[in-house]
Amino acid sequence: MAVRLLSKVKCLPGIQGVVYASGAAAPAQLSDFELQHKTPVIRKQKNIPIAQYGGRHAVTMLPGGGIGPECMGYVREIFKYIGAPIDFELVNIDPNVDNDDDVQYAITTIKRNGVGLKGNIETKSEAAYVTSRNVALRNELDMYAYVLNCKSFPGVSTRHKDIDIVIIRQNTEGEYAMLEHESVRGVIESMKVVTASNSERVARFAFEFAKRNGRKKVTTVHKANIMKLSDGLFLETSRRLAQEYPDIEHNDMIIDNCCMQLVARPHQFDVMLMTNLYGSIVSNVVCGLLGGAGLLSGRNYGDNYAVFEPGTRNTGTAIAGKNIANPIAMINASVDMLEHLGHHYHAGLIRRALDKTINTDRVLTPDCGGTASSSEVVDSIMQNIGRC
Amino acid sequence: MSLITRNLCRTLVQGSQHVSKGLHTSAVNSEKNVCFAPLSISSLQTSKEGRIKCTLIPGDGVGPELVYSVQEVFKATSIPVDFESFFFSEVNPTLSAPLEDVVSSIARNKISTPDFSHTGELQTLNMKLRNALDLYANVVHVKSLPNVKCRHTDVDCIIIREQTEGEYSALEHESVPGVVECLKIITAAKSERIAKFAFDYAVKMRRKKVTAVHKANIMKLGDGLFLRSCEEMAKLYPRIQFEKMIVDNCTMQMVSNPNQFDVMVTPNLYGNIVDNLASGLVGGAGVVAGASYSADCAVFEQGARHIFSGAVGKNIANPTAMLLCSANLLSHVNLHSYADMIKNAINKVLKDGKVRTKDLGGQSTTKDFTNAIIHCLA
Repeated sequence: MAVRLLSKVKCLPGIQGVVYASGAAAPAQLSDFELQHKTPVIRKQKNIPIAQYGGRHAVTMLPGGGIGPECMGYVREIFKYIGAPIDFELVNIDPNVDNDDDVQYAITTIKRNGVGLKGNIETKSEAAYVTSRNVALRNELDMYAYVLNCKSFPGVSTRHKDIDIVIIRQNTEGEYAMLEHESVRGVIESMKVVTASNSERVARFAFEFAKRNGRKKVTTVHKANIMKLSDGLFLETSRRLAQEYPDIEHNDMIIDNCCMQLVARPHQFDVMLMTNLYGSIVSNVVCGLLGGAGLLSGRNYGDNYAVFEPGTRNTGTAIAGKNIANPIAMINASVDMLEHLGHHYHAGLIRRALDKTINTDRVLTPDCGGTASSSEVVDSIMQNIGRC
Repeated sequence: MSLITRNLCRTLVQGSQHVSKGLHTSAVNSEKNVCFAPLSISSLQTSKEGRIKCTLIPGDGVGPELVYSVQEVFKATSIPVDFESFFFSEVNPTLSAPLEDVVSSIARNKISTPDFSHTGELQTLNMKLRNALDLYANVVHVKSLPNVKCRHTDVDCIIIREQTEGEYSALEHESVPGVVECLKIITAAKSERIAKFAFDYAVKMRRKKVTAVHKANIMKLGDGLFLRSCEEMAKLYPRIQFEKMIVDNCTMQMVSNPNQFDVMVTPNLYGNIVDNLASGLVGGAGVVAGASYSADCAVFEQGARHIFSGAVGKNIANPTAMLLCSANLLSHVNLHSYADMIKNAINKVLKDGKVRTKDLGGQSTTKDFTNAIIHCLA
C-alpha cells in the first residue's frame, strides 16, 4: 500500500504522503511487512482526513472470535441507548481462512477511520507463513504503545485492594518480530529485535503519559542482566529519557523479580514500562490480581491510529454463546474509545453506570464471583445510565 | 462533540413522559390508537433520550411555511427536540439576525434546519454560513417517492458535493475593462476531504459504487487534482467500486438512465447542477431532502435550494422535502424511531394519493398535506 501511495504522491505535490523520518528513499517492491521491519526509517502513515462528519465518528468494529461478537452486541446496545454519535463499520474476519484479505481490509478501514474497537481475532492456522492477525494488525498500523489501566474495582473481591497501575508495553517489536527460522535441523532461532528508535518512542510515550496524568513514578521492566544488549538498549533508552523528566521518579526492575513483587506488594508500582513479551505476561498477571480477564480494557496507540480492546487478549471461545462472558472489558474499551474521540459526556454516562453496577449493585458475572448472566449485567448498566 | 446531546439523559425521565403524552394525544387525534400503541412502546424502549436542541432557520420565501409544517408534525408526536429559531434573511437584511449569532447557535447545537437562498452580493449569506461553519459536504439523497409520477422509477442516488471552494470561491474581478476573471480554486486537502466523505458515506449507507464527476479533460489541473484525490481515496475502499464520469456525459446519463448511479461525488458547481437535475427527475424541489456536514455540525436543508417566492403566503408549497429533512435530522441524533415514523407517514400519504400539493398535480394546500401526515403518524 505504502509503495503504491508513494508512486502517486510524486505526481501530486499537494498531498503529503509517506513521511520520511530521515530523508531515506523508499525501496521499491517491498511488502508492507518488509517495509515495516526492514526500513525502520520510513514511517508509512499517510495523512488521511479523519472520519468525523456532523459530529459523528465512524469507527471500525472488529468483533473477532469467541465472545467478541456478543460483547460487541452489548456495546452497540448501550451506544444506541445513550445515543452515542458513533457509526460502526463492522468488519468480520473469518478465522478459518488462510489468506489475509479480511485482515488487510480491516487494517485499511482502521487507516481511514483512525479508530478501531476490537475483540480478539483468532488465528486458527498454525502454518508458519500465517502470522498472528493481532500482531499483523498492530505492526501494520505501527501502534507501538499499548496502555493498560489497572485500577481495582472495590466491588470485586480480590487479595489486594486499591491497586492503581498503568502498564505501558512496546507493542510492535521485541519477541513479536515474528522472525524465526531453523538454521540447522533441530535448531530454531527466534529473533528478538529491539531498536533504539522504537524504544525511545515508547519510553517517551510512558513519561509523557506519566506527566500528563499526574503520575509519580515510572518503572522500567527488563532482563538486561541476561540480554545485555537488547534489553540493555531498552533500559538505557528509558534511563536517558528519564533525565528529561526530573519530576518523575524512575527505577527499573528485572522481570522475574517484578512478577514476584506484583503479586506480593503491588502498591509500589505506578507506571510500568516494558518490552513486548514482558508486557504480555505482566498485564495478564495484573489482570489476574484485579479479578480476571473480563474487566480491564487496553489501548493501542500509534502516531495516527488508536485501537481499543479488552485488556487480556483471550478469545474466550469456550464460554462463547453461553451468556456468562463478562461484558465489562469490552464496555470499558468502548468507553476508552469515546474518551479518545472526545465524547466525554457519553463516556462519563457509561463510566458512572458501570461503576455503580460493579461496585455498588455488585451485579457481576461468575468469573468475578457473581451470579449474574452477561445480559443481566448489561441490563443493570443500562438501568443505571442517567441515574447516577 | 457531546454537545449534540448535551441535554440528553439529564431530562431522561421527562423525555419519556413526553413520549407517553404524545402517545395519548396523537391516539385521540388520529383514531388509530390500536396500531399506534405498539409502535410507541417500542419507540419508548429504543429512544429514552432527553431533549435535543436544534437551531431553526426558516429563511426566505416559502421557508417559514414549510418550517411551520415541520414544527406542527414535531408537536403532534411530542418529539423531544427544542428549536432555537433565527430570522436569517437575505431579502430583508435589516431584520435578519447577525451571521455570528446564527453561526454560534449552530456551533453550539450542532444541528440545524435552515431553508433559504437568494442571490445578492458577491458572497451570499448561504455561502457565508457554509464557510463560517466549514460545512464542506452537501449530501442530496435523490429517491423516487411512491406515487409521484415521473419519467423514471426507482431512482435512488446520493449526490455529494464539495461546497466551500471551486467556482464558489467568490473571487471575481475585472482585470481589464470587458474582461472578467472568475477564479475556480481546487485544493488537494479539500478534494481529499470530500472524496473521503463520499466513500465514508457510501460505507455507512451500504452503497456499492462511487462515481466522481469531473471535467478533467478540459480543466486538466484543477479538476485533475480533484479526480486524482478521489482515485487516491478509492484505494482505501477496495470493496466499493469507483468510476469517473465527465460532467456533460453525466448529465445526459442522468436523464436517460439514472438508475446506474449510486453515490456521486462532485466539485461545487457540477454538484449544484447535478443536484437540481436529479431533483427534477424525481418530482422537483419540493420532495428532495439534503444535508450539509462539517466535522462538527450538520445542517439539514432542501436538496434543491429554491425559495419559491411566487408561492409565498399561498399555502401551496410542498412540505415533503422539509419533512424528510426533519426525519434525517432525527436519525442523525439517534431518534430513529421518530424518523421512521415520519418517513412512513410521508410514504403512506403519497401512496394513498388523496392529498397532494400542486407541484405533484393535486389541489391540496400545504396545511392539508401537513394534517394528512399528522393523521398518518403511526
